[in-house]
Amino acid sequence: MRGPRSIEIWKMGAVNYLEALKLQEKLASDRKTHKIKDTSLSLQHPPTFTLGKRRTVHNVLVSEAELKAMGAELHYTERGGDATFHGPHQAILYPIISLRDIGIGARKYVENLESTMIELASLYGVKARAGETGETGVWVGRRKIGAIGVRISSGVTSHGLAFNIDPDLNYFKHIVPCGIPDKEVTSLQKEVGLGQKLPSEQVIHEQLVSCFTKIFGYTDITWRDKTSVSSDGHE
Amino acid sequence: MATSLWATRAASFLRINVPCRGFATGSDVPICYLALYCYEIAAAFIDWFLKDLKYADSHEWVRVEGKSATVGITDHAQDHLGEVVYVELPEEGSKVERGASFGAVESVKATSDVNSPVSGKVVEVNTKLSDSPGLVNTSPYKDGWIIKVELEDDSDLPCLMDPERYTKFCEEEDASH
Repeated sequence: MRGPRSIEIWKMGAVNYLEALKLQEKLASDRKTHKIKDTSLSLQHPPTFTLGKRRTVHNVLVSEAELKAMGAELHYTERGGDATFHGPHQAILYPIISLRDIGIGARKYVENLESTMIELASLYGVKARAGETGETGVWVGRRKIGAIGVRISSGVTSHGLAFNIDPDLNYFKHIVPCGIPDKEVTSLQKEVGLGQKLPSEQVIHEQLVSCFTKIFGYTDITWRDKTSVSSDGHE
Repeated sequence: MATSLWATRAASFLRINVPCRGFATGSDVPICYLALYCYEIAAAFIDWFLKDLKYADSHEWVRVEGKSATVGITDHAQDHLGEVVYVELPEEGSKVERGASFGAVESVKATSDVNSPVSGKVVEVNTKLSDSPGLVNTSPYKDGWIIKVELEDDSDLPCLMDPERYTKFCEEEDASH
């Protein structure tokens, strides 16, 4: 019988993409050497486009100069997955956890991340589902509400999931989201109806974390307010 | 227990799907016995084939022949990864170190580092994986090999697991879920 599973949740507010990336690299390194326990960052980014390891630049439909002009950044990462957009009003979770300690592989991990977002959507009466083979992510009909892109190194995860609460969906027109053409992107606000008022985003971020900890079986959860943390992990 | 696990690996290796029919009629019985007989022969062959492999706790296998080693990921690893859509290969001539990453595979929107069980120099990479990354899933021990390495020395090998120890390791890891 396994003991209680512990995780520390860092509530970070709005964080620049590169700063969050550097912080994840440090935390992942510390997790590999057992200096820290499982940790997850809960945050959002300013307008940012990212590509995965396969560098599918053909799925970014505008030049980097044009992206800059609209106030967005473009970053190349080592995560799986294709082109995506992150921005305000999108809830992001970056779990830095040891899959070896919980005995699961990439496939099960990603399924659990999908289930996390499906559960969150269901709290608002939105019926979401996991994608078909080759369309990893969370969908409402043919509309994508949640994206996943993960990196696993020595069994430790980084990057994670992004759930659309109410981001500006026009940004997604500048990419082929996740490399899947002819499918829309949606948001929780759009699915519950534009006239329906959602709770504050802080509440929704916390609900996302609660769904995550429930699905992954964490029983000992510590919340840390890290809104002033720098990329090397210091406050 | 060990036989059934090896039989599973045999089926995976050969991509055999042996139908298991009930003994409904007299004419079915000889066919079922024949299928089982062929299956056991295949399992014994694979047992012999795979017993020369050594395993790392990060689920890579290595076959050493003299100063040369072939490296890939195990059936357990490919099963836990899901369908592989991309394999990042190292450059030929680059150095690899035991326990360190030399490349990655992507599946289900996740990139997973692949670590080398041995130290040495990469002398060949499996270029077929660029067009057919799924070979890692369908033939993890044969056509899905990833790199060939010229060994520095054989001092890494005692640190690796033999087949029985690796099987137990996988069972313990899966049980912790």
